[in-house]
Amino acid sequence: MRPALRSGPGRLLVAVYAVFALSASARALVQIATDFSAAPLAYLLSALAAAVYVVATVALVRSSERSRRVALVSVTVELVGVLTVGLLSVEDPVAFPDATVWSGFGAGYGYVPLVLPVLGLWWLRSQRPRRAV
Amino acid sequence: MLAPLALLLGALSLALAVWSLVGAVRAARPSGGQLLLAAVLEAAILVQAVIATVLVVTGTRPLSTATFAGYLLTIVLLLPAGVFWGLADRSRWGNGVLAVTAVTTAVLVLRLEQIWNG
Repeated sequence: MRPALRSGPGRLLVAVYAVFALSASARALVQIATDFSAAPLAYLLSALAAAVYVVATVALVRSSERSRRVALVSVTVELVGVLTVGLLSVEDPVAFPDATVWSGFGAGYGYVPLVLPVLGLWWLRSQRPRRAV
Repeated sequence: MLAPLALLLGALSLALAVWSLVGAVRAARPSGGQLLLAAVLEAAILVQAVIATVLVVTGTRPLSTATFAGYLLTIVLLLPAGVFWGLADRSRWGNGVLAVTAVTTAVLVLRLEQIWNG
């Protein structure tokens, strides 16, 4: 176990990830349950974003060596996701009739979705286990 | 939902956010005063939640009652969860967690007001 992943700055990171896991899940759930056909692509991406936040939160809390790798993958997917969806939603608004967490690079959430994966990757890198020489 | 009480909730959340942020910058851990403020805020949230529930049950309800109920449940549980998570860290980062929790609470207060007023 490496509890370091969830202590210090990691503790703050977990708190922010938990908030986004909750809000993205709730948003995706409401969107898909009430009017899925209105914007299927946007709603599926909402669900993907929610899943990524949930996996990242759990991986950071578990704080084991294996979960560090899971966190690394999910945070990378998150960064690629927010950049791709951000770019697409700006370039082709017609494809996104309804917003996701990642639309406009997370503008609706104070751009936190854009900054969060960068901080996450920095934190995971700084907590890399040292290899025996 | 009582509008004056919502205003009070917003003010208390922002006060807790600023207090926690200052604590984090000063590398202090959360103080007893902050916990007291968090307790007062949570009590006020519970009062608002009871008022809102009574109003909804007696027929005065927002357009989307389900969404409103989801936000209401979240705001009631968020602060205790954030305090629990933040206090476990005896460093400035505990204050960081409290600041994030307080800002999120303020945002939820705003969203609740928006949903309630349609």
